[in-house]
Amino acid sequence: MRMMAIAFQETAADCNVRRKEGGLAFRPDDPDELEAAVLACARGERSGLRVIFDRESGRLVAVAQRIVRRRELAEEVVQEAFIRIWTHAHQYSRERGSARGWIYAIVRNRALNLLRDGGREEAVDDIEALQDRDHANEVMAAWQMLDRDSRLRECLDGLEETRRSGILMAYVGGYTHGEIAGRLRLPLGTTKSWIRRGLSALRECMS
Amino acid sequence: MTGGREDVLSLADEYVLGLLDAGEAAAVDARIEHDAALRAAVAASRERFLPLDTQLAPAAVDDGLWRRIEANLPARGEAPPVAAPANDNRRSGWRLAALSSFAATLLLAAGLVWSLGRTVEPVVIAVLLNEAGEVQAVVEDFGNDTANVRLLSAFEVPADKTIQVWTLPSRELGPVSLGLLDGSRSARLEGPTLPDPNEDQLYELTLEQAGGSTSGRPTGPILAKGFAKAVH
Repeated sequence: MRMMAIAFQETAADCNVRRKEGGLAFRPDDPDELEAAVLACARGERSGLRVIFDRESGRLVAVAQRIVRRRELAEEVVQEAFIRIWTHAHQYSRERGSARGWIYAIVRNRALNLLRDGGREEAVDDIEALQDRDHANEVMAAWQMLDRDSRLRECLDGLEETRRSGILMAYVGGYTHGEIAGRLRLPLGTTKSWIRRGLSALRECMS
Repeated sequence: MTGGREDVLSLADEYVLGLLDAGEAAAVDARIEHDAALRAAVAASRERFLPLDTQLAPAAVDDGLWRRIEANLPARGEAPPVAAPANDNRRSGWRLAALSSFAATLLLAAGLVWSLGRTVEPVVIAVLLNEAGEVQAVVEDFGNDTANVRLLSAFEVPADKTIQVWTLPSRELGPVSLGLLDGSRSARLEGPTLPDPNEDQLYELTLEQAGGSTSGRPTGPILAKGFAKAVH
């Protein structure tokens, strides 16, 4: 995990380069392709699922791994998520947001379920728990890696630090209110209301 | 959950961030189906936070993952698998393993102490189980920087990999490597000088690259793990 954190910093540096030359590779400007792929899944066409896999699986594994930490668990999460994408594609519609957002939400939910079932608390004596600090660094790095001129970056920058940390710990690291309270050394009730106020400020800033 | 627009937006954000407990999240799932305002709020919230995911550098994924997905797809027209909860339960395998580890340890410890005879006795014995709860290995830690690792199951160790033995003497010290195994063979390891092993100390086997983890921390998949029992 420490190695991963280091690798993470390095990719932060070349992120913009990647974005420029990698434009063709993942076509961020072509959301319709993913939507068409999800609709193909709903019709039972496997080629649709394969398109989603080719375009997003690497990043989905990375997202899952940031939450569950272990690579093999992350792959398991993504595997289960793809089955769910396949069986639930008929539920997708535009009013549920972008196809990409819908796909990522499925992976995030699987990863969080796995964490909550396995219980990060139970792993407290585990070796993995020792890597907590590395994980915290990685969580904060996610914010610093955002495009400087992105709206989310700008609005997160504007938040008071504790609120920003709480929000990032939840979204990026998959921490619960209780875990965040512990790490920020704040009472649970205070933590909840700080995060809630932070989210409200973020909504206002981004609207 | 009821209340004004602000409450709906707040609920949607907390849902998307994963901050709701299982019951609250399930309630949102149900409400989304008939509550257009909540549905729109969740969609907007997802889009707001999505850049934190999509800016991530992709992991290298091989085709094995695709083959596993394909092998598990229900055929067209088949009912979606009802097995989702079973999958989730599978994750609690380690917890189950930990429970059965306790019983197994007592039995094995008794047997080992007897079979090891009256030579030097280990301070602690840990029975290491895999995720399915099957006994894979036994570690006897003698507390004088030596530990015996007996493999009770044949592991497949690829040429570029090695099995590394770890223990967690304390949270302060962090995980410490006791050494590497030669292929899939039992060994007596001369490890670093550590405090005397404790009851309930964690021992773990991971599969690392040949030569062992370069970070000094376990990074590969866990093959087996278990907690120590004091011999006396």
